[in-house]
Amino acid sequence: MKLKTLAQISAIAALAGIGMPAFAQQTVTWWDFFAGGDGVRMKALIEQFNEEHPDVQIEGTTLEWGVPFYTKVRTSAAVGRGPDLMTYHLSRMPLGLSEGVLTPITAADLDAAGLSEGDFFASSLDAAKGPDGTLYAVPFDIHSIVLYYNKTYLEGTRFLDDEGKLTGIESLADFEEALQAAADNGSEAPVTYATGDDGGTYRVFYTLLSQQGGTLISEDGEVLPGDSAEKAVKALEIMTNWHDQGWQPEQALYEASVALFTSGKSAFQLNGVWEVPTMKDLEKNGNLGFEWGAVEIPKLMDTRTTWADSHAWAIPVQGDEEMDPAKREAVMQVIGWMEKHAIQWADAGHIPAYKPVAESDEFKTMEPNATYSSLADGATYDPRSEVAGVASPAYDAAQNIISPAMHGYLSAEDAIEQVKSELESKMN
Amino acid sequence: MAMIRNRSRHRLVAYSLILPFVAIFALVFAYPVIEVVRMSFTDAPLIGGGDWVGFDNYARLLSDKLFYKSLVNNGYFVLLTVIPTTVIALVIALAVNRLSGRMQALALVLFFMPYVLPVSVVTQIWAWMLDFQFGILQPVIEFFTGKPVPVFKNPFWVMPAVAVVTIWWTNGFNVLLFLAGLRNIPGELYEAAKLDGATRRQLFFKVTWPLLWPVTALVLTLQLILQLKIFDQVYLLSEGGPFNSSYVLLLMVYREAFQLNHGGYAAAISLVLFLIIVVISVLQFQILRIGGKDK
Repeated sequence: MKLKTLAQISAIAALAGIGMPAFAQQTVTWWDFFAGGDGVRMKALIEQFNEEHPDVQIEGTTLEWGVPFYTKVRTSAAVGRGPDLMTYHLSRMPLGLSEGVLTPITAADLDAAGLSEGDFFASSLDAAKGPDGTLYAVPFDIHSIVLYYNKTYLEGTRFLDDEGKLTGIESLADFEEALQAAADNGSEAPVTYATGDDGGTYRVFYTLLSQQGGTLISEDGEVLPGDSAEKAVKALEIMTNWHDQGWQPEQALYEASVALFTSGKSAFQLNGVWEVPTMKDLEKNGNLGFEWGAVEIPKLMDTRTTWADSHAWAIPVQGDEEMDPAKREAVMQVIGWMEKHAIQWADAGHIPAYKPVAESDEFKTMEPNATYSSLADGATYDPRSEVAGVASPAYDAAQNIISPAMHGYLSAEDAIEQVKSELESKMN
Repeated sequence: MAMIRNRSRHRLVAYSLILPFVAIFALVFAYPVIEVVRMSFTDAPLIGGGDWVGFDNYARLLSDKLFYKSLVNNGYFVLLTVIPTTVIALVIALAVNRLSGRMQALALVLFFMPYVLPVSVVTQIWAWMLDFQFGILQPVIEFFTGKPVPVFKNPFWVMPAVAVVTIWWTNGFNVLLFLAGLRNIPGELYEAAKLDGATRRQLFFKVTWPLLWPVTALVLTLQLILQLKIFDQVYLLSEGGPFNSSYVLLLMVYREAFQLNHGGYAAAISLVLFLIIVVISVLQFQILRIGGKDK
């Protein structure tokens, strides 16, 4: 059927082509950094778009996540050899703006995409704006870390309700009781996260800090202002205690930390929603061997909040030139189409930033997303600073200082002091 | 008349022959070097121009704690690699030199093989062998220390571990240089010394060592320059951590330029590193030459 329509459309296009030779096909060069389970879903979206739109074709390239991606974007955009459309982390916005690689998204642009600002969650929209309120990106999702759990280790404890759902974790003491219970039930590493890597360590640390109301970097650029330093010490001491008790794996790199959970050795996993497809696929193929669930990170400290970030669409500058208006319209058309098909992206665990999809019945029945999507309201984004965000000095500090400190190489106080001076020195 | 024409033609040919080299040299070496010097006096980002800021970048460098830390780490790494790798290469070369024919070729191939590998492969191999959870070398470490050690995550182990990987990787080339040096020593000298009743100890210290000195000096200088430029192994194995205990100058250049977009500051650091390497290696070579003349 689709092939037939495609053939008809191309036939019409060919006929029309005789009459008006100006008929031009737009090619949109697209760069993203999705290489895992979500990359597969993104490629499916691109293919579907290309099939439905013979006049606009996406040429997608997947590059390496992190510093390599953003370095390539900066250098190529500066000389006009960059993509027409790229994925961008909203936590990376401050540095992106200082580099001058992003073009403003105007109201006319949003019109062309069939979108409006009111369609998006306020927190993600704010993160997509510059300090002066100009929009520089279109948010696509909200992603965060969640608490995955393996029901096997919790059976017979007070932490599973009648339906087999996680319950009764309302404080740090509750959570640590659950960890001990899991350990007693034979879990090798009751809670797993990437204790030896930057991202895993940073996100857990930042969540524990935010739940105490602490600030990593304030609006005016002060690192750990006021009593935030004490709160940071407290957060690090909690993680150190998990290590000392043998509850978390020692020096686990990202893949190993995931494997501990998928192989059934861990009762809990603190990791991003992007591992949901991994779990779903394993379950579907019958390779998992246990029942699992995922919930918003419980309130362990004083307030309910979780670290969060967003993937967004951005249009880089084209060197000294302006993008051809027809092409820009095509790019916006792609963005609009993607937003409206975000339900397929939600299948990769993410929460759509586009409200019509996030509030649709289809999303509300999608599990486990629906269970944890409440986190979007109270999420804490990375500090708006050039030294924070994906692949930033703040991430480096997690690997360079926080991770070794919780493994016992430095006291929590000294480590936080070092984080502070390290980030301050990078700010100049 | 004919001779003058001949000479100018001669000159023309000479110029046309060196022109390709000079052009390429100017384009890919001289011009970038001049640009780095200019850039180090500006606040330029990685791409694009910046404003002239005079010696600001250098002043900042002198008050940057990380710079001193990196400098010390560079020095520590040189200490851990340069002399050890030279000694090991000499010992291996002496041993290989005693073999003959096919066995010698085979031994050479075995020692040279790691040198052929790209750095990312080398670091992958060692990261796996020393992996905290699955590394096949962890039982060996456990035997000596009583517990497994995450070598690239431990502030005391990280630099020695990177040094071991580096020596393993680059040693083959030094063996080759030494072997060439050993083959250049005429056999008659050994025969004459033996006739005079020299012991094997004397043979080494009175014949081999002094005659091999130029090669030793060359190896030491090449190693010094190479090891001061340490970057790849650190970037791939430890990323400068933990607690900056493996942070080195080139990693600092990389982070400032590519992560933080501080092109001018990165240029200043790399220029300082360049000057350090030039001064130290010239000094070292001179000292080694004087040392050689005394013998």
